[in-house]
Amino acid sequence: MVIVELRKLLGLPTAWAGLILGTLAAPALVLVNAPAMRRAIAEGRDVTDLGYQNLGIGLLGAMILGVVIVSSEYTRTGDDVPGARQLTATLMAQPRRMRLFAAKGAALVLVTAAQGALTAVLTVALTRAVHGTSVAPWSAGRITGAVLYWVLLALMAYAITLAARNGVVTLTLLIVNASVVSVSYLLTKVTGLAAYLPDLVGAHMFLRGGPDERIPPVTAGLIMTAWVAAMLAGAAVLFHRRDA
Amino acid sequence: MITIDRVGKTKGRRTILRDVSFEARPGRVTGFLGPNGAGKTSTIRILLGLDRPGGGRALVDGRPYAAISRPLTVVGALLDGSGAHRARSARAHLRWVAASNGIAGRRVDEVLEIVGLTDDASRRTGRFSLGMSRRLGLAAALLGDPPVLVLDEPVNGLDPGGIRWMRSFLRDSAGQGRTVLLSSHLMGELAEIADDVVVIDKGAVVAQGTLAGVTGDHATLEDAFFALTGSERSW
Repeated sequence: MVIVELRKLLGLPTAWAGLILGTLAAPALVLVNAPAMRRAIAEGRDVTDLGYQNLGIGLLGAMILGVVIVSSEYTRTGDDVPGARQLTATLMAQPRRMRLFAAKGAALVLVTAAQGALTAVLTVALTRAVHGTSVAPWSAGRITGAVLYWVLLALMAYAITLAARNGVVTLTLLIVNASVVSVSYLLTKVTGLAAYLPDLVGAHMFLRGGPDERIPPVTAGLIMTAWVAAMLAGAAVLFHRRDA
Repeated sequence: MITIDRVGKTKGRRTILRDVSFEARPGRVTGFLGPNGAGKTSTIRILLGLDRPGGGRALVDGRPYAAISRPLTVVGALLDGSGAHRARSARAHLRWVAASNGIAGRRVDEVLEIVGLTDDASRRTGRFSLGMSRRLGLAAALLGDPPVLVLDEPVNGLDPGGIRWMRSFLRDSAGQGRTVLLSSHLMGELAEIADDVVVIDKGAVVAQGTLAGVTGDHATLEDAFFALTGSERSW
């Protein structure tokens, strides 16, 4: 079942867009930023998070995958038949919804974990190549943290999309928040508690520097996992109960 | 054998189905007849586990659909559209559907051949015409060579040749001992192929029996239908 879901996901062009974007964005950013970053380092910039900071951009790919694995089920299959969706074929092939829910989640975890590991290693290696090995030390813990962050964000996108039954809501919510204006970040200016919002707290798993209050990586991981688990549980209940 | 047993369904305050009961038996074509919005599709979706009934049971060979392992080898269903993501080719769609139920990959080419889509198998389904989508949907329904066929308005979107083909295909399927349940609002069409008829109107079964039994003293099934539903101009 997981293999079928992997096959369905990887058969979609939009999934590959997410994969390619997610894998290449962070390493590309290292190269693009290289000249400016060299100057900043020469001026004494804090390099604690160099290499790891750029990983943030790649999570867009993980989010896209989390959205696409669900939105592809709810997209209309043709213009002439309004109600027809792939979900009908999926549920007729696999009517046990909780198993389907788990299989989709597992397929998503596999793809984003593989992608996240590849990107994290690539990005850190490239940073070391560009800026010298003195910065961005290899850290299995931080790379694991980044991959976990990645996977959890993908699962979050999966849960929200399943609850909303289309990808637009999720993409708006997560991508705007992650890249254009971070509402969560702005909220931290209002209350320190906002640092515990799911998208922000997770970053503490692999970032060490920054002006904000520090949350230990393991605590951060546990808090984000709890958030995502709650969202998944909510989505599962809705998916189980609702008419397809 | 399909058993619909006192199935009810409400959406909001609207009653969609009220105590719907009937059976579709092996070796026979059972026509499920009713105007648009009468509850045909809702009944079929409940039978296939896509929608939940408010009450009652819908069973295939005594089991709810969700309790059947590898359901596509037991029930083949055709609903609106093909169920294929528009970015996928017909073959890619059928391959994952086959894999999901442990059906051999070579069966994909067989069903493409049966429905006459072999030449279009590599095209993206988003570019398919309505008729081609229907044929792809039918191909998916046939993948598991199931003893039970459930088809919702199967001739919608088919050209005259396709309608004729569908008619003989369904008759042959019943002839081979399969259970065939098809819904339609086309009375003339149904009268041509059904052995048994279930008439539904406003969410309730108003008549059921053999085609001759339901037609009764009326000249045609259509006359009987309007006499039963008393709705000459439901639109």
